[in-house]
Amino acid sequence: MSQYLLEIKNVSKFFSGLTAIDALNLKVKKGQIYGIIGPNGAGKTTLFNCITGIYTPEEGEILWNGKEIKGTAPDKIAALGILRTFQTIRLFAEMSVAENIMSGRHIKSNQKWYNGIIPTPAYYKDEKYNWEKVGEYMELFGLSEYATTPAGDLSYGVQRKIEMARALAAEPELLILDEPAAGLNENETKELAEIIRKIQDMGVTIMMIEHDMDMVMSLCEYMTVINFGAWICDGIPEHVQDNPAVIEAYIGVEDEDEDE
Amino acid sequence: MSKTNMIALGFLVIMGVFPFFADSAWLAVGTTFLVFSVVAFSQDIILGRAGAFHMGHAAFFGIGAYTTAILNTHFGWPILATWAPAVILPMTVALITISPIIHLRGDYLLVATIGINIIFIQVLENDLFGLTGGPNGIFGIDVVRVFGFEFFEQTHMYYMAFILLGITLFIMKSLDGSKFGRAMFYINKDDVAAQSMGINIRYYKMYAFAIGAGIAGAAGSMFSVQYSAVSPEAFNVLQSIMFFTIVLVGGSASLPGVLIGTFVMFVLPEIFREFETARYLVFGLAMILTMILRPRGIWPVKFGNIPAFLKKDVK
Repeated sequence: MSQYLLEIKNVSKFFSGLTAIDALNLKVKKGQIYGIIGPNGAGKTTLFNCITGIYTPEEGEILWNGKEIKGTAPDKIAALGILRTFQTIRLFAEMSVAENIMSGRHIKSNQKWYNGIIPTPAYYKDEKYNWEKVGEYMELFGLSEYATTPAGDLSYGVQRKIEMARALAAEPELLILDEPAAGLNENETKELAEIIRKIQDMGVTIMMIEHDMDMVMSLCEYMTVINFGAWICDGIPEHVQDNPAVIEAYIGVEDEDEDE
Repeated sequence: MSKTNMIALGFLVIMGVFPFFADSAWLAVGTTFLVFSVVAFSQDIILGRAGAFHMGHAAFFGIGAYTTAILNTHFGWPILATWAPAVILPMTVALITISPIIHLRGDYLLVATIGINIIFIQVLENDLFGLTGGPNGIFGIDVVRVFGFEFFEQTHMYYMAFILLGITLFIMKSLDGSKFGRAMFYINKDDVAAQSMGINIRYYKMYAFAIGAGIAGAAGSMFSVQYSAVSPEAFNVLQSIMFFTIVLVGGSASLPGVLIGTFVMFVLPEIFREFETARYLVFGLAMILTMILRPRGIWPVKFGNIPAFLKKDVK
C-alpha cells in the first residue's frame, strides 16, 4: 500500500496535437485538502477528467492506493471511491432534490437484478436504508425543505450543495470539487468553506480547483499550480503565494476570472 | 387516498366492468387496447425511462407473437407452454441485436433499430425454414386450455389481456421504486453525471431493452391468441412508429400518460371509423399540436416520488 492515496505520475493528455496536460506529477495524501490552481485553460478540469476516467491520458500513470487506474471507465472509478462535482453543475434537473441525492446511493445499494421486476424483503430493507441515508445528507447540507423540489428550480448556491451532497452520499474516499465556489456570493462561499471542512472531518480526502484565492489559501493544506498544462510549482499555500513564477502566471490576473 | 390512486382505481374498475357493456366488436377493440397498452409500457421503459430512441419495438412484439404461433401450430405445444419462450426469445434477441448498437446516441440508434425491424419483416415474409408462413402469416392458433377448460370467448381474451396489463403495471411500479428504474432516469437526464455516480450506462440500457422486449413478447403472445393468427404487417416499422408516438404523445415515463397515449392513438381512430381515412388527417394534426403545446406529453411524468418521512420538512 502506497503512502499516497492518489499519485499522478508524468501524465500527459493531448487533444489533436494540442498539449492539454504536460507530464504532470502530483501526490495526494489521505485526509488532505489538495488545491489545483492555475489560470483559465491551464488544464485543471482536464486533469480531473483524466482522474475520473472521462478522458484517458496518453502518457503517464494514475495510481489509486498504489494501483494503476488509467483508462478505467468513470463508473468503475466512482465504485473505487472517487466521486466528483462539475464546474458547470450537472444535476438531474427535472428530478427532485431527494432523487438527485439518491443517485449517490446507487453504488451502495445491494438490490439484485430481479428487484427491478419484483420486490423482496431484502429489497425493502435496502431501499428504506438508502432513503434514510438520503435524509441524513439532506440534513447535513440543509436541504431537507427542498426534498420534493425539482433540482433545476433552485438557486445556484443550493444546486452546488445538492451536487456535493449527491457525491458525498456515495461515501467517497476522495471527493473532487471543480470550482465549488463559482457563482456563489460571499455568504454562500463562507458556508461552503465550512461544509468542506466538515467533509474533511468525516475522513474524506478532497481535491479542488478554485479561483477564489481566499478560500483556497485558507482551506488547502497543499497545492499544485499549473499553467498551459505544465507544473509551475507546488507546496503549502504560504510557499506558493510567494513564488514569483506563480505570481507572474496567475495571481496577478486572479481577480478577473471568477466566473469561467 | 391520493388523487392519482383514485384515478388509477377508477380506471381499473371501468376496464374491469367494460365487457358487461360492450358488444363483440368493441370487446375486440378493448382487448387490443389492453395489449397495445402493455406494448406501449414496454416501449416506455426503453424510450421514456432509459431514453433510448428505439424505433423497432414491433419486432420484439412480433417475435413473441410468432413464437407462440410457431410452437403451437408447427410443434403442437399448448399455448400455456409457449408463454415462457415468448418472453425469453424476444429478450435474447434484444440482448444479441441491441448489444452492438447500444452505445449509439439518439438519431443513430433510431436508424439502427429501424434496421432491426426491417430485417425481422424480411425474415417473416421469406418464410424462414418454412416456419413463418411468408406474407400471409400463420393461421389457426389454438386457444388457452387449462385442465380441460377452454378460454375461447372474447370475454376470456379480454380478461387475460387485463391480467397481463395488471402484471405489467406491477413491474412498472417495481421498476420505478428500485435502483434500476432510477438509474435509467439518471442516464436519461444526464449520462455524464450518471456515470460519475457509478452507474454503468451500458448495463442499465441493456436492462431496459431486455425487460422491454420480454414484456412486448408476452403481449405478442396474447395478441396472436386473440386473433388466432399472425401476419407480418402487424409488426412492421409503421407499428413501431405508433408505439414510439404513443409514448411521446401520452407522456414519457408517465403511467397514465402512456395509457392516454394508447387510447388517443389506437381507440380514438376506432371510434371515428365512419370518417374513414379522413380521420388520420385530424390525427396527424393532433400529433403536431401535442408536440408544440405539450412537448412533454398529454399527462407528463411527475418526479418527487419519495418516502413520506423525507417530506416532513417540506414547506
